[in-house]
Amino acid sequence: MRTPVFILFFSLFACSTYGQLVFDQPEQSFKARPEQEMIVAKYRFTNAGKELVKIENVQTSCGCTTAGLKKTEYAPGESGEIEAKFSFGGRIGKQEKAIRVTTAQAREQPTILRLLVDIEDPIQIQPELVFWRVGERPNTKKIQITVAGNSSVKILSVASDNPSIKAQLSEVKPGKEYEIEITPTDVSQPAGATFLIRTDYPTQNPRTRYAYARVK
Amino acid sequence: MKSVRQAVLILLAALVPAGVTAIVHPRRPPWSEETLAPGEEKLRTVLSWGSVVLWVDARSQREYEAEHVPGSLLLNLEAWDRLFPRFLDQWSPGRKIVVYCSSRSCEMSHEIAARLEQNGISPVYVLKGGWEEWKAAK
Repeated sequence: MRTPVFILFFSLFACSTYGQLVFDQPEQSFKARPEQEMIVAKYRFTNAGKELVKIENVQTSCGCTTAGLKKTEYAPGESGEIEAKFSFGGRIGKQEKAIRVTTAQAREQPTILRLLVDIEDPIQIQPELVFWRVGERPNTKKIQITVAGNSSVKILSVASDNPSIKAQLSEVKPGKEYEIEITPTDVSQPAGATFLIRTDYPTQNPRTRYAYARVK
Repeated sequence: MKSVRQAVLILLAALVPAGVTAIVHPRRPPWSEETLAPGEEKLRTVLSWGSVVLWVDARSQREYEAEHVPGSLLLNLEAWDRLFPRFLDQWSPGRKIVVYCSSRSCEMSHEIAARLEQNGISPVYVLKGGWEEWKAAK
């Protein structure tokens, strides 16, 4: 007899923390390729309470994500769905978006839904940073660019925003491997440079990548 | 019923010496032991390092803007290209870096720490318990 009482107690507690809405998967993860451009996640929920729940606000953490639902009021036991659309807009790598759901019954305890998307990036820049200590010899250091999988990417150019730290691009294996040689002309004082690496990938919306140099 | 009473008595008889051992034995095991994953560090240890630490907040911009460890820098994978140069401006070789994300379970701090180390930046630590641990201690 005690077990059902415990289960009931904890169920009630769990429901109250979510403002009576219980989500099946409040955190969802996806893998994607840049060509996909967007991803849609559906967060299914149920009103596990005994009263009508009114969803007052569904707010996303980024302008790149929209979230919508068909109606705002849900009777006890009724289920619904929040649909979130995340447009990549040239983003790559791991992305984390949050969707904040506020109900009239628990305004101070909004539910945070999470959307984790790993947008595959075939271009690997290693390292992204080369650095020298002030006063050390200004040896040339190398940055490798490799293209993973079946993709073929052309590195169009590399430009340094600091003329005293020079960058020289060379092609090791067309479409797959490149090398940038970085040489500072003066390491007697702190300095920094950002290298703009122009690529032809993704084809429809080519992205500029970055690498950095510092004299510290 | 008698056998139940006997079992309870045996249990109580065993509990007395066990309790005494747990309290006074010089080599008694700890009640709970904090285990650290590779690269993790406890808040108590990090605080003992003082102001040499460069704190890195790996949470979202919204969470960072709401509240963060004083002096910490925002650095997450989502806005890496924009935030990494700012981090580099504050970083100096050899300075201890401590990365945190929102909770005990979040992985972002480990990912940021790994990416910094891939770039030759060290030493880098991950705060065990993350922001929740910091908040609880304040």
